[in-house]
Amino acid sequence: MAESYIVSGNPHWHAPVSTKRLMLDVIIALCPAVIVSFLYYGWSEILVMAESIAFCVLLEWAITRFLMKKPSTIGDLSAVVTGMLLAMNLPSGISWWIVLIGAVVSIGVAKMTFGGLGQNIFNPAITGRVFLLVSFPAQMTTWPVPSGFIHNVDAFSGATLLQQVKILGAADADALVSLQTLFTNIGGSAGEISAIALLAGWLYLVCRRVIKPWITLSIFATVACVAAVFHAVNPELYTGALFNLLTGGVVLGACFMATDYVTSPMSTWGGVVFGFGIGFILMMIRYFGSYPEGMSFAILLMNMAVPLINMAFHQKKYGRK
Amino acid sequence: MKKITFSIGGVHPNDCKLAADRPIEVLPIPETLYVSMAQHLGAPAKPVVSVGDKVKTGQVIAEPGGFISAFVHSPASGTVKSIAPRADLAGRMVPHIEIAVEGDEWAEGIDTSDALIAEIPEDRAMMLERIKNCGVVGLGGATFPTHVKLNPAPGSPAAEALLINGAECEPFLTSDYRLMLESPKPILIGASIMQKILGGPKCYICIEDNKPQAIKVMGEALEELGFSNMVVQPLLKKYPQGGEKQLIQAVMRREVGSGALPISVGAVVQNVSTAFAVYEAVQKNKPLITNVLTVTGDCLPVEKQHNYRFRIGMPLSYIASYAGGIPTEAAKIVSGGPMMGRAIANIEAAAVKGSSSLLYLKESTTRRWTESACIRCGRCSEACPMGLEPFLLNRLYKGGLTDELEKNAVQDCIECGCCLYSCPAGIPLLDNVRQAKLQVMGIIRARAAAAKAAAGQANK
Repeated sequence: MAESYIVSGNPHWHAPVSTKRLMLDVIIALCPAVIVSFLYYGWSEILVMAESIAFCVLLEWAITRFLMKKPSTIGDLSAVVTGMLLAMNLPSGISWWIVLIGAVVSIGVAKMTFGGLGQNIFNPAITGRVFLLVSFPAQMTTWPVPSGFIHNVDAFSGATLLQQVKILGAADADALVSLQTLFTNIGGSAGEISAIALLAGWLYLVCRRVIKPWITLSIFATVACVAAVFHAVNPELYTGALFNLLTGGVVLGACFMATDYVTSPMSTWGGVVFGFGIGFILMMIRYFGSYPEGMSFAILLMNMAVPLINMAFHQKKYGRK
Repeated sequence: MKKITFSIGGVHPNDCKLAADRPIEVLPIPETLYVSMAQHLGAPAKPVVSVGDKVKTGQVIAEPGGFISAFVHSPASGTVKSIAPRADLAGRMVPHIEIAVEGDEWAEGIDTSDALIAEIPEDRAMMLERIKNCGVVGLGGATFPTHVKLNPAPGSPAAEALLINGAECEPFLTSDYRLMLESPKPILIGASIMQKILGGPKCYICIEDNKPQAIKVMGEALEELGFSNMVVQPLLKKYPQGGEKQLIQAVMRREVGSGALPISVGAVVQNVSTAFAVYEAVQKNKPLITNVLTVTGDCLPVEKQHNYRFRIGMPLSYIASYAGGIPTEAAKIVSGGPMMGRAIANIEAAAVKGSSSLLYLKESTTRRWTESACIRCGRCSEACPMGLEPFLLNRLYKGGLTDELEKNAVQDCIECGCCLYSCPAGIPLLDNVRQAKLQVMGIIRARAAAAKAAAGQANK
């Protein structure tokens, strides 16, 4: 036999879905939200986004290249996703050096110290955000007046709706939420501006079968149920379901951060439990904590529980109980 | 009838049935045939002819080498030239009987006419005997001796359903499809014979909905034959539907326990080609010396794709060159489909009863991906039709944790390839899981042997 042929075990071909392709889908899914926040905040938002992506990618490249002495992994695009998510968690117009510190914590600490993609316990972008929030509380909660191409007459700066709860009380804050909030929020992180844009991206990921919907739905359901019960008991003290679903980082977190493959459970029921935990912790922080917002903390806390959840929930095996 | 499918895992590869419109052609017999003694599951057959013997087509040349084994017959008439080890498609040395072909003169008592014999004999023992004597084995892939499967051990539950597997869920393969289109009645009569042998369970002819023509033709033939207690069951296309356990779950909604046989849930599964072979054996006394094979691939134009009726013992290289030679773009040649087939290391190997294809794959199609880190996406466990967690098994295998591997049911793996097929990081999951399975099966067997020995000691 003159020719030589490949001999290897089955299967002999591969589904056309790579890690890179999955990450590209997440990037595509984030685009509607990025576009909406660009329209609201203008070029300053794009600048933060560009800085964040550039820092994250460069850091991962440098760490793999010079510290780990391994082939670079930036080709899988996961650093781009982290960079985008980090930027969406920052107020637009924030100084570049704060973005850099966020990237160092996200990529350097949360991701690469654990061994890179797939090894990290905590969601990198959220870890970066939480670090910045506790280190630079003033800068992280100074929300600029929307200065982009769409001007909301009712826009006011300084405090988000969630902060209004602590200032005005639950009943008055509830009144500020209308159907309009669904499309555009007032003030807040770049990624919190439009729930509809985020949900459109999430729907794209679900339809492309990049992620399963259960974690996200479980978070929404838990938040809605907990809020409805507390609101029914005392509407003066506790904000309602719609308010809690549409404000802060719930939609962004539930759609894009809690569904991160690496830091969420593998099984369907594990995902439901994970989502319940996030929703419950979030509501406890909002109602009883000193922080107005708790999505990041809720996700990080449940990230820690993932190995346990994975041990408790397995796939249904064929022919076994 | 409502289309159904199995409920755990599975993948949806492009079915690539490129040779579906190519009718079955009969291959001319070459000058020399090499008949393997190991063309069935179980013990190799023992030659009963000597060098220099004259043999006729269909004459027994080897007898079963054990309980699970099968007769082998001469695929042509001629002279036994040698009995010696020869490399099979993986390159392993296996005893072969070499026959110098002089013609195609059939042995006495074999009906070689085309006449359809629809009347089913009454004598169950005679039918089983004929199936055994004609060397019929399962042609769906495992080549398990059919007479053993049709005669469950005493004490087994009664057969409640006979599933005739026409799913042909492997992409590219079209031999079962062509056989269903061209010989629907013999298949149905073969199914009816097996039904009778098993004591009359309900018979389902299971066909995936990517073959509407086959569903139609088989349905019409069934109506004409007027068999009662037999239906054509359409299935939603999903791989690996043709897996025995998956097909049983799809049709009967029952799951075969780990390590148990299908008969434990009242099921017997036989491939459509096996049903055809049973028809020929029982109605025509014709031994299993031919089968249908597809020459296909993504680097072959449709006019060069073929479905051939071959004789066992034909070198694969002969079939390849008759079909127009191996295409230059081919990087891998597979016997079977792209999901579960075996890569051919030796193209000079002889075709066997279970040969189903010569599949040529391009380098870009068959190239393994560069392995990258597991991103814990869970796609492998979503795809696994046995509900296993390949990512976990892979990790346990690397840690050498055989107890944990057994607890996580690595021994249930059916090696369908869904995990590796769907892994976005290109991790060689099945390669490692297969090794882990071998280790654990070895441990389980050793433990059983030790328990048996201990029981023997205690009885003394």
